[in-house]
Amino acid sequence: MRLAGKRALVTGGRQGIGRGIVEAFLREGAAVTTCGRGPRPDDLADSVIWYSLDVTDAEAVAELAYTTDGTDILVNNAGVQVEKTVAESTDADWDAVIGTNCKGVFNMCRAYIPQMPDGASIINIGSISGQVADPSMALYNASKAFVHGLTRSIAVDHGPRIRCNAICPGWIETGMLDAGFELATDPKSAKQDALARHAMRRFGRPADIASMAVWLASDEAGFATGQLFTVDGGMTAASPLNPGLF
Amino acid sequence: MMLEGKTALVTGGRGGIGRAIVARFLREGARVYAADLTPEGSLAAHDDDGSIFVKLDVTQEADAIAAMEQVGADTGQLDILVNAAGIEIEKTIEETTLEEWSLSFAVNVTGTFLTSKHALPLMRKAAKGHTASIINFGSYDGFIADPGLAAYCATKGAVHALTKAMACDHGPEGIRVNAICPGYVDTPMLQSFFTGDGSGGGGKTIDQLQQAVRDVHPMRTYGTPDDIANLVNWLASDEARYASGQLWILDGGLSAQVQQMKL
Repeated sequence: MRLAGKRALVTGGRQGIGRGIVEAFLREGAAVTTCGRGPRPDDLADSVIWYSLDVTDAEAVAELAYTTDGTDILVNNAGVQVEKTVAESTDADWDAVIGTNCKGVFNMCRAYIPQMPDGASIINIGSISGQVADPSMALYNASKAFVHGLTRSIAVDHGPRIRCNAICPGWIETGMLDAGFELATDPKSAKQDALARHAMRRFGRPADIASMAVWLASDEAGFATGQLFTVDGGMTAASPLNPGLF
Repeated sequence: MMLEGKTALVTGGRGGIGRAIVARFLREGARVYAADLTPEGSLAAHDDDGSIFVKLDVTQEADAIAAMEQVGADTGQLDILVNAAGIEIEKTIEETTLEEWSLSFAVNVTGTFLTSKHALPLMRKAAKGHTASIINFGSYDGFIADPGLAAYCATKGAVHALTKAMACDHGPEGIRVNAICPGYVDTPMLQSFFTGDGSGGGGKTIDQLQQAVRDVHPMRTYGTPDDIANLVNWLASDEARYASGQLWILDGGLSAQVQQMKL
């Protein structure tokens, strides 16, 4: 049990990657609190504490930080995506994407950093899309680049007391991924094509990201800070040329 | 004319990209030495363009020394060195023989090392009052991999690191060192992909392959040697006097995208 005795808070634990991290942390012996907009999900393990929280609400975040004083591990996973170019994006899109992905992460870090104990670990969920662009995801791509920059700043400003790293997932089997394929003219062949672009020939699972989060949260990662850890099945190691062409 | 009064040497100077760089340097007023294995180079064509041909096998130290002696005797200094000579072997590591691996490193990495090493004394002389400039050839393949190009990808990663090391060591002497990292450029090297040398092509015609490669670029085309020469020229010129130690990707946006999914 690599996280025994540690207290963790994971934002956006209702589903997908966040839920995968909650479950992995539980298995490793951490006391886990998670949160999300809306009521507690029915299938959440009884031992997990749930708070209804909108990370864009700075006052509510500060209140939660006070309530969960002593948190050793903070995972900023809550995020939204809007599939639009810059020209198509509205003010409401900006508020939604930047509000949650940027301001939400900022709100959480600002509230938690002063009261986290020595040796604490902050893990932000960045994205490969913060490094290289996914088409028609302009605000999302930019918001993840913000997360990467903030990650380095926190590591520099608040080390050695706190470590801060980001995980950059590739394509993970979540609702967000399915939404992407539903936009395709032929979702089935789009999925096959996408699989061929992964050296591992499969998409990621929440557990793949959670296992990196466990390591970064644990004391084994005591010298790891300020870095981006890409877990994408090899996709961004490959040239974007059509698979099978050469 | 951005390079008036400067002396330049371009390795691979009679090859696809090298020839365009030589031509551009000449237009910008430089005295240009085109170094290559033969006067015809990989394009197998003579080019009476006003450049001075120097026979140079970049893997041979004696050739590098002789080439620099010739430049030194003629002009006494060298302002610009472009290490454009390169080869690629289209194989995975399992298919690559030790000889092919060694040849890849001999040309792409050792060649850059040897030519630069023996150019440095002449470049220090040029770096009085303005900077001298070495431009290496990396590749976007030094960052992300094309399948079946293992040794090539590895050599380009090595060139990237060597570029930064050289920039650190010789910046204080007024010598700038940068690497250009082209994506797909229309050269004999690229055409060998399309004609099927060492590639499958998936049963596609050359036209279909060319279109498919164009379509995956945000700019919807691959580059021309002149596109590369445009940036080489800037890096060679005094306008770039503060540019050093960088890897300059020039790929029509290819590597800015995650993957171009069929959506």
